Amino acid sequence: MPFRRYLPHYLMIAPFMVLFAVFFLYPILSGLYYSFHDWNGVRVPEFVGAANYTKILASRDFSRAMGNLFAYIAITVPLGILVALGLALLVDSFTGRWSNFFRNAYFMPVVLPAFLAATIWRWIYAPNFGLLNIVLGWFGIPSVNFLNDTGTMLYALIAVDIWVSAGFNMVIILAGLKNIPTELYEAARLDGASKRQQLFHITIPMLWPVLFFVLTYGLISAMQVFDKPWLLTGSSFTSYGGRRNALLFPVMDMMGRAFGGVKFGEAAAYGFLLTIAIVVVTGVMFGLRAWSERR
Amino acid sequence: MSPMRKLRRFTLWTALKWALAIAIALVAVFPIWWMINVVFAQAGEPVSLNPRLWPTSLGAGLDKITTIFAETGYLRAYGISILYALLTIAGVLLVGSLAAFEFSLFEFPGRKILFGVVLLALMVPTAVTIIPTYVLVSRLGWLNTMEGLVVPGLASAFGLFMLVQFMRAIPRDMIEAARLDGAGHFQIYWHVVLPLCRNALVTLAILTFIQTWGNYMWPLIVGTKEELYTVGQVVGLFNSPLSHHTVDTVMTANLLAAVPPLIFFLIFQRQIVQGIAMSGSKG
Repeated sequence: MPFRRYLPHYLMIAPFMVLFAVFFLYPILSGLYYSFHDWNGVRVPEFVGAANYTKILASRDFSRAMGNLFAYIAITVPLGILVALGLALLVDSFTGRWSNFFRNAYFMPVVLPAFLAATIWRWIYAPNFGLLNIVLGWFGIPSVNFLNDTGTMLYALIAVDIWVSAGFNMVIILAGLKNIPTELYEAARLDGASKRQQLFHITIPMLWPVLFFVLTYGLISAMQVFDKPWLLTGSSFTSYGGRRNALLFPVMDMMGRAFGGVKFGEAAAYGFLLTIAIVVVTGVMFGLRAWSERR
Repeated sequence: MSPMRKLRRFTLWTALKWALAIAIALVAVFPIWWMINVVFAQAGEPVSLNPRLWPTSLGAGLDKITTIFAETGYLRAYGISILYALLTIAGVLLVGSLAAFEFSLFEFPGRKILFGVVLLALMVPTAVTIIPTYVLVSRLGWLNTMEGLVVPGLASAFGLFMLVQFMRAIPRDMIEAARLDGAGHFQIYWHVVLPLCRNALVTLAILTFIQTWGNYMWPLIVGTKEELYTVGQVVGLFNSPLSHHTVDTVMTANLLAAVPPLIFFLIFQRQIVQGIAMSGSKG
């Protein structure tokens, strides 16, 4: 009997598949259901059609969060990759023990919890007695309230972000660098190619697949940024986003609607809107990759 | 170009490179170093006078650590975080390796579809699942419980994917040989395959530890009572604008939160770096 024969296999995958179905598939489906209902978590959900979606799209917080997100992504993703690429090339130019030493030093911020990176940097950014303002003071620059001045808040976040993520991306790019055959460089040297020509004609083209991964992954995680702006602005569910919502991001807005405003239907709809955006971006990235490989 | 000039240009370039590498290393490591210096200094010394460049008092630092453990709920939060991480690691490794064993080494109806669905999960953002998962956990009566923290995170698609990648390389002959020796299905998993994947399991355990220790969003909504606060929540509260704790307490809490992942990193740097590089190059 075929089922009896396969039974051991199904028993072995059962724990994973059951947990996966209950805590991953079911939440997605139930989220879809809630997203079309008005629900505060206690009352019986009331069907409202697409009202949650239209309400979010029309809300001022949503456009503010999206505006912030675009500005944030436009800077942090490309800059982060450039820094990571630079670090990887720098580490790769050393050999042996020193190469490992610098790699580990640059990677250290990655293993710290993100919540901790945000809290340490809050001390560094603090007005008057914060480390950064003391250093600026040596050069006669007056104290800046980095986390409360709408002109600097975004950049303060991006600096923390790059401090944390550069080492992560660097390690992935380093693995890519190691996979480039050394014969390519030898041949280029014989042809008289300069270091710079080697970088632009061998290293970067050979790294394309890795850079694509880093870029796509960076975009997806940047779109869901939460811990760092939440803690940098000292947010709570009743008050979040920082001064004039300068550091309000979509996931913060979603969490605020759920746990501050007790609007679970709206929050579920928010999650789906965000997912649609992420799926579209991922799709575009994969499309671009296929297109660039075909050329 | 004379050999002399070539040498000089070479050294100037190398010196610049070293200076740059060291400067960046300082930027990367200094905030951590600075935190250590603030904790290991006399209590009450204003931070503002000079940026602390080195630790000045070992005793004062130890005092602060014993004080924070004795006078705040930090020790309990520490215990909660460690338990949360250990249970998650154990669950992710067990459940994930059982499933990976089947998906990577055997054929059975539905294998491709089920594995495909799990792989799709890698692309679904947390944003879409977190609210409904919270609702489910609250329906189960699991708010403010350890199972509420741990269980929803056990079916890790990433962990399964990583283990499957690794187990695919195991020669089928070894499985067949064990079967001819009379080993049962579960015995093959336990005595043959698991020992072969020790490296992958260690790597997954470390990555899971770092991720669980650093998880802020899920404990924030599931553990709303003080009894279930994790290190992340306590650190967040200590650092909040309304906190009534002194700089010394807050910095000590920050430093202690950094210690376990940093120790793990110093011991397992090779596995951590390789694990991340592997997940990147195969993704």
